[in-house]
Amino acid sequence: MRPALEYLRQLERYLLGQPTAAEAEAWRVRQLVDGELAADVATQQLLYQGLQLAGRQQLRQELELIHARLERPARRHTWWQSATGPLRSLLAARRKSS
Amino acid sequence: METTAALRQALLADRERTLTHLYQHTFPMVRRYVQQHGGTAQDAKDVFHDALITFYEKVVGETLVLSASASTYLVAVCRNLWRQELSRRTRQPLVSLADEHAEVAEAELAEQPVLAVLEQVERLGERCKDILLAFYYFQQPLEQIAATHQYRTVRSATVQKFKCLERLRNSVRALVSTVTA
Repeated sequence: MRPALEYLRQLERYLLGQPTAAEAEAWRVRQLVDGELAADVATQQLLYQGLQLAGRQQLRQELELIHARLERPARRHTWWQSATGPLRSLLAARRKSS
Repeated sequence: METTAALRQALLADRERTLTHLYQHTFPMVRRYVQQHGGTAQDAKDVFHDALITFYEKVVGETLVLSASASTYLVAVCRNLWRQELSRRTRQPLVSLADEHAEVAEAELAEQPVLAVLEQVERLGERCKDILLAFYYFQQPLEQIAATHQYRTVRSATVQKFKCLERLRNSVRALVSTVTA
């Protein structure tokens, strides 16, 4: 992985992983002395928040689709039932009369 | 009753099917309750979707352990949400749930930086958007993401994920610097 991507991975480990208390403290100190690192951490946090919002939005859209599919009025007859309906009525009438 | 771990696995493996199954079994009960307590079918849907989103996040994030069936849990959450909504409507009689969502959207608008990210996510292109949301929101394992997007190794999928994150970061930074310039 190229260095720029490796850097993002390190930031991710710190932000989304489970750093030990000592690691977290070391990161905190590094951010205090390195303003650029602090800004990068803030940006990455912002990206995660945005992705959370985007994901929630997508899930809501998926639920809307499921709702629309399930709540669509059920068709009373399948094409097969419609096509054979008259024949089935005729057979039922014959059974009754016999 | 299926365990929370089994439900989590099912949600990760086939989200649409699992949510559809939950929907079919639970929504009629929620709708009945809301309609019997002064709400409409639309209110029921809004409440149910809010509950399902939180439920999904908690189950895949492993911050919820179910002691009853998923349907029982969801109905209980929806009842609480609807009671809260009813009491809110008593205080603000002219604001509906839909209006409330609009208010939330306006409140979100105030949080411009996050919305800028949201806008840039939509511009990433399908592949990058899918990979980032699958990993960071839907919490799918990288093995699954690699298989879905036909990467030969998990490492390739990991590299691609960070490339997509870098693209998002660069576009957000460019946008922020344009706004602040």
